[in-house]
Parts: sequence; C-alpha cells; structure tokens
Amino acid sequence: MSGAHGVLALVHAVALVGLTPHRVRIECSRATGLPGMRLVGLPDTAVREAEDRIRTAIQRSGLRWPQERIVINLAPADLPKVGSGFDLPLAIGVLAATEQIPAASLAGLCACGEVGLDGSIRPVPGTLPTAVGARDLRTGRLFVAEAAAGEAALVTDLEVVGVRDLTEVVALLRGDRLPRESLPTPTEVPASTLDLRDVRGQPVARRTVEIAAAGGHHLLLVGPPGCGKTMLARRLHALLPPLEMDQALEVAAIHSVAGERAPDAPLSLAPPLREPHHSISAAGLIGGGSGIARPGELALAHRGVLLLDELLETPRWILDALRQPLERGEITITRARSRVRYPSRVLFVAATNPCPCGHLGDPRRACTCRPDRIERYRARLSGPLLDRIDLHIEVQPVDRRQLAGAADGESTAVVAARVLEARQRGAERWGAGMLARDLQDHQLRAGCSGRAMSTLVRAIDGLALSARAFDRTLRVARTIADLEAVEVIAPEHVEEALAYRLSAPVGV
Amino acid sequence: MSGAFAGLRSVAAQVAAEGTDPHQLAAIVAFSAQPRSHPDALRRRDRDGDRTGPIAARVAALAGPPTATTSPVAARLLGAWRGDAVRVALVGDPAYPRCLAEGWPELDPPVWLAWRGQAPGHDPGVAIVGARRATSYGSGIAAWLAEAVTDAGVRVVSGGATGIDAAAHGATVGRPGGTTVVLGCGHRVDYPRSHARAGGLFDQLLEDGGTLVSEALPHQPPRAHQIRSRNRIVAGLAAAVVVVEGGERSGSLLTAGAAAERGRAVLAVPGDVRAPGSAAPHRLLAEGAGPCCSPAQLLESLGASPSRTQPSGDTTAVADGQARPGAAAPADGAAGGGATGVTTLPPTVHAALVRAWPRPVRLEDLASTAQVPVGGLLAALTRATVNGEIAEAADGIRLRRAPPDVG
Repeated sequence: MSGAHGVLALVHAVALVGLTPHRVRIECSRATGLPGMRLVGLPDTAVREAEDRIRTAIQRSGLRWPQERIVINLAPADLPKVGSGFDLPLAIGVLAATEQIPAASLAGLCACGEVGLDGSIRPVPGTLPTAVGARDLRTGRLFVAEAAAGEAALVTDLEVVGVRDLTEVVALLRGDRLPRESLPTPTEVPASTLDLRDVRGQPVARRTVEIAAAGGHHLLLVGPPGCGKTMLARRLHALLPPLEMDQALEVAAIHSVAGERAPDAPLSLAPPLREPHHSISAAGLIGGGSGIARPGELALAHRGVLLLDELLETPRWILDALRQPLERGEITITRARSRVRYPSRVLFVAATNPCPCGHLGDPRRACTCRPDRIERYRARLSGPLLDRIDLHIEVQPVDRRQLAGAADGESTAVVAARVLEARQRGAERWGAGMLARDLQDHQLRAGCSGRAMSTLVRAIDGLALSARAFDRTLRVARTIADLEAVEVIAPEHVEEALAYRLSAPVGV
Repeated sequence: MSGAFAGLRSVAAQVAAEGTDPHQLAAIVAFSAQPRSHPDALRRRDRDGDRTGPIAARVAALAGPPTATTSPVAARLLGAWRGDAVRVALVGDPAYPRCLAEGWPELDPPVWLAWRGQAPGHDPGVAIVGARRATSYGSGIAAWLAEAVTDAGVRVVSGGATGIDAAAHGATVGRPGGTTVVLGCGHRVDYPRSHARAGGLFDQLLEDGGTLVSEALPHQPPRAHQIRSRNRIVAGLAAAVVVVEGGERSGSLLTAGAAAERGRAVLAVPGDVRAPGSAAPHRLLAEGAGPCCSPAQLLESLGASPSRTQPSGDTTAVADGQARPGAAAPADGAAGGGATGVTTLPPTVHAALVRAWPRPVRLEDLASTAQVPVGGLLAALTRATVNGEIAEAADGIRLRRAPPDVG
C-alpha cells in the first residue's frame, strides 16, 4: 500500500438512501500540495464540515494533524453522502493515512458516528439501518458511538464496537485495548393504559374496532365532536398484537432514520401510533424534504396506526397522496437526485364530523346545516381514498347515564386475544403477515360460500351500492369469519360486513 | 325569418302534447327564449287584457310573432325537450291538467307544463310536502301517508327534493298508480343529483308510472325563487296539501298558502313541540289547518274525492277515523312483509322498533338493549334493510311501514 505518497487507507461506511444502505469506500491518502483536506465524491454540507470537526478533535485528542495535503475520496462518487455520521470513518482514514494507526487494522472495518471537537463520538440518526446495512453488505465489524451501540447490537450476525472517543478508537485499532462487548438494548412492550373497557355503551363501535384490528382494515369514524372517535382509535391501537422482532427492527429503523428515536431507548415491540394534526403538509404526511426524502408520518406509522382526525380539514390532494401507498404498503418518493422507498403498511384511521356543523344525528343538539351543504360535505367523504377504507361507521355520543354507569364491555386483553387468534388463522391460510386487508379478489372469492356470494350480490343491488363495495365487503366478511373461527364465509358474515357503511344523512 | 320559424314549428310539433297547437307552442317558447323575457309576462298581459276566448289562443296572441334572432335558441330548447321525450301542453289545452289550470291567470298557473313519463291527468292528487332536512319521524309519517294515499287510488304529488318529498315519492314505488314530481328546474338539469342520476329515485318513479313535471325551460337551473314558485304547481295539482315537517321559514308554508288560495284542503302533521323541524306544521295548525294524525284523517279530508281502488283495510281505517288503537291492520301490511308477522329481525329488536315507530331508534341503543350479539344484530339489520323492512338514517333506524296496531 505504501508508495511515494505513503499509505492509502481504506475505511468502509454506509450511506443510506432512505432505508436502503449503500457501501461507501472511504479512500484516504496524503498528497502533494498545500496543507488541508480535499474531500471528493458528492459530500453534502455536513460531510464537508467534517474537516473542521475532525481536525480539531484529532488535535485535542493528542494526535497529530498532518502538515500536508490529505485527499479523501468517497466512492462510489455519484452516490450522495449525507450527514455527520461520516465523521468517524473520515477521522479513522486520516489517522491511518498518516500512519498513526496501522493500516492493516482497517481491514473489515466500517464506522459511523459524529465526532465532537473534544474527540468524543456521538450517535447519529439512522444507526440501526446503518447496522443492518453493514451486516447485509458484509463490511465487517461496525464502530459506532457507544451510546448507539445497543441499538446497533440489535442486529444479529454483526460485530458492533461501541466507542467513546478518538483516543479509544486509536487504542483499539493499535491493539492496545480489547473492545467492550456491546449488548443489544432490551426490548419492551409498553403496557397500554388505554382499555377498551373505558368505552361505555357503543357495542357497535367496539365490535368495529375489533374487526379493524383483526383484519387490519382501514377505518372511518364519523360522529359529532366529543363522541369518542379519538378514544376508539387509540384503543384500536392498543388491540394490535405486539410486533415480531424483525418487524420491530424495521419500525425502529424508520424511526432511527427520521431521528425520532433516542439511540439508547429500548426497542419497543408496540406498534407505532401516529396522530398528525390535520394541517399537515404533503411532505410531512408521505415524506419528503430536500436531497434524500425523509420518512413522513405514513412511514413512521408503518406496522401501526395512522390516525387523521378532522379528515375533511386536510386538503383533498394531500389525502389523495395517501391512496397509492395505502394500497401498495410502501411509498416511493422520487426527487431530482434520489429515489427513496419506505414501507407503509399502516392501519389508517380517519375521523370526521358528520356534517359541517358537526351535529347531524346528535340527539343532544340539532344540526343547523343546509341539506345541500350536507350533501356536498358527504360527497367529499367518498372518492378514491375512501374507497380504500373498508369500515365506515357512525359513532354516536353516549348518554350521561351510560357514562356514569359501570364499565359494561370486554377488556382490551380479552378482545386482543381474539384479534391475535383471528390474525393467526389468516396467517396460516395466506402466509405470515398477510391480513384480510391485503387479500386479492380471487383469494376472497375462494373462501366464500355460494350462498354468501348470492346474498352479497342481492344486497349490493338492493342497497344500490357501487361495485367497489363488493371487494370491501368480502374482505370484512373474511375477518368476521376468522374472528368466529369459521373457515368459509357465510351469508351472515357478509350481511354484518355490509352494515359497516354510512347511512343516509337525512331520513328517507 | 319565416324559414327559421317553420323549423321551430316542426320541432314544436314533436313535443306538443295532445291538443296543443305547435304554432302557439313555438311562438311562446320563442318568446320565452328571448333575453329578459319570461312566460310570466304573458300571464300578466293576459290578466290586464281582454279576457274572452280560449286561454291558449289568448296567450299565443299575446306572445306575438317570433323574431328570427330568437328562433334558433327556441329550436334548441324544443330540441332538448324532444331528445328527452318530454311532452308539453299549453295552459287551457286538453292535456294540461284541469286542476292546475283553475284560476288562470290570477293564481299563476304556468303557461305551459312540460312532463316526462305518464301524462299528469286532470284529477287532483294529494300533496305530501316538507323539509329537505327531515327527521326519521317525518320521513316515516310521509311514507305512511303516501302508501295509504296511493292505495286509495290517489296520486301523491310532491317536489322531488330530498327528505320528506323523497320519502313520500319513494313510498309509492312498487304500487300501482304512480306519483307526480314537480321539479324546480328544467328537465335537462340533474337536481337533486342523488335522485336524478341513472337508476336513482326519478328513474324508479318513471318506471312505475310516475310523472316528472316542470314549468321551466330545459336548461333552467334550480334557483331558489324557482323552487319556491314550483310550490304553487304542487298545490295546484293536489286536492289536499299535507305539511309533514318544516322549519319556521319552510317553503312548505308557501305550498300551504297556495293551496289555501285555491280552496284546497291544508293539513299539518303534529310533531314534538320542541322539534325545530315541526315549526311549520305547528304554525299551520295554529292558523287553522287540519291535523293529520293518520292516513284515515287525510283521506277523510279529501271528502268528495273518490277513492277508486280503495282496499278493504283502508276502508276500515277511514271508518274508524281517529280511533287509532282499534283500527284493523291495513291490507298492505302483509304484502310488504314488514309490518305483520313476517319479520327477519330478532324479536326484541323488532319489538323495540315497533314501540318507537315512527320515531327511530339509534343503532347503539338497539345494540345495547337487544340481548343479541352485535354481529348477529348487524347482519339482521342489513337483511331487513335489503328487504325494505327498515330504513336507516343519521338519527337512527325505523320501520319503513307502520306497525299493524297503528291505524
């Protein structure tokens, strides 16, 4: 490796484009010219600024900053490199190029971390997907900030070395010290304090929530203010079974990229619940931003619940952006310089008032809306996005007597057990992770009795429903059958499934 | 000039109903198609002018010769009518309903009447009108009255709007006789959209011998004043007007007023004293309108109007008058499968709905008290909705037909 210009040091790093890892080779060499550092290969501003950080850090760590020119190439040159996580591999590269650490020690080394002016190594967002990338790209052992070591160690089949500062890095690479073992952060299932028992009365709403949880069906809640729409949505979230380990890692990786996750936080097995305000922008919802698009609320709710309250307050075009990702279970955001794909298998819960004033059908207060305004308002409750929501229900306010009375329904634990059983039944039939929500036309028809099918056809005709109601009803009926541990969809399952639609706004 | 008019006349000949002279129709449509002119102007002129001779001839004379510039517009309008299979009759002509022509020109009958479906006929019907923002109570009563009226062989007339109008029209579907819808816009305008769409309420009504009438040119939009002024046609086509529900400033009050002017009966359905939707009927009751608490009471008010195909069940109801609890089951109960015996609903649910009728029961209340698993209840309710036994609206679920023990 040594020649006229000394050592050519090579360190690996992982560049993330969204969640997709790419191997980056960091080549570091002394060169002729004025003292300084020359960084090539599409570094962004944060990577460019690394020079100032690592120079000071190296000097303050009692190491030597070379009085000559250092050229660093980030290869492949056309891949954009973003963030301060490149500080650590750059520093290691410089130290190796200046022969302060043996170049041989860099074999099979990958590093990720931000370097402080005092030489300390700090965690960066995206440590978890970086660790996954390091394993999948077989870059060798991974040096990360000690604070993030637990997170990185969640990835199996990868040697993770947590480091506190540059001094320690040098000591480890010179062989003066042995690495500490990095233990994965513990996993936990935070016990939800939201119990379904708290929902008084409302047996139909409770049943709907159970079906939504079991089949992963998207849910539309329509009801006057204060009738408990949000309360139901949160309890629906509490009904979802805990995540499998690989699912939890997937979720944590997205949150890690978004910087929403403290690196030393335990790995949560609870599905995420996201409740963005209705003033959210399209980029906030589906992801975006300059350069490489960051995950939006949709991706952050992956494998969990995305709750949008006051649905009709959010502009139509923003809502319509949800349509395709809800159907595909992933969102692809294309920007001038990158294309990013985030998974987005969410249970979408939308809540809205029944009419502009909010009191249509409310026994406590009369609605003051003009009928044509209600009609127009309701018209906005249909369309491509709403067609993808399988369950539509009207939530009715509970009267005071029931509110004051004792809790009368089943608890979350009881219902969650049924939900889990139904999901397992579906998974046995269709394969792991498949929900009734995802089923295709032919799969649905296969499990439907002839009588059920003719009931459905008759009902769709009699109720003047659109053809789209067909698949929607069958999907829900499938879940109802699974909740009742029945293999073939029967007419009564179809009939119940048909009940989860909105009624006419005025009496006819 | 004359060439354009000849073309106009030939289109007019294709839409002119029995006894209507295409010349006159063409002239009047050409007159109405002129900017800033309105058929009402003809009526005003006739009121002030010489009032001898047949009405139609007077009107045509007043319209004057059409001008070449307006004729193509008129031809287009007539062509639109022809394309929609609309027939048109001028006031005073044989096909123009006589009950409506009464009182020309003081009571403002329309100069022409354009209709789709069956010809409107000369016998007055019963107008069942009310608010678009109807409650299930109002819709239930409207349907109850409309069924009995249709079964008595009398045509139900209403405004084709959502709410009470729709409930009244809808109740006649599947029964012989047909119903008359008075549109507030032209035949080419889809309003209200939910009724005018293909396969919607209007199509169903037309299929069952119904009539859609309008005094407007084909493309005239449903302006508020136009919708208000069509109420006089509703009154003109009816021997009695029943106001079921309406707010303080409801358009139904105009219909009632127009009916009173014509010496037709005005009835009002009492409601909850605090219900904002019952303000209009209560005001009418205070002003001397007859109370309408049952179909029997309504049919009685028709007095001289003969009930041609009255089934025996309704005869009993009429004879019993206000003696509601003792009245026999109406004959229609068994036919529809809803009211008597044959119910697909669980007994507790059916009982709750019967107790509440014509008021609705909210779904969650039904589910809380029904002693049936929620899933089974929902399935049963869907079945009953498909069968037409119950109707569901934002304020709850109600039986579509009156239970057997109600007159």
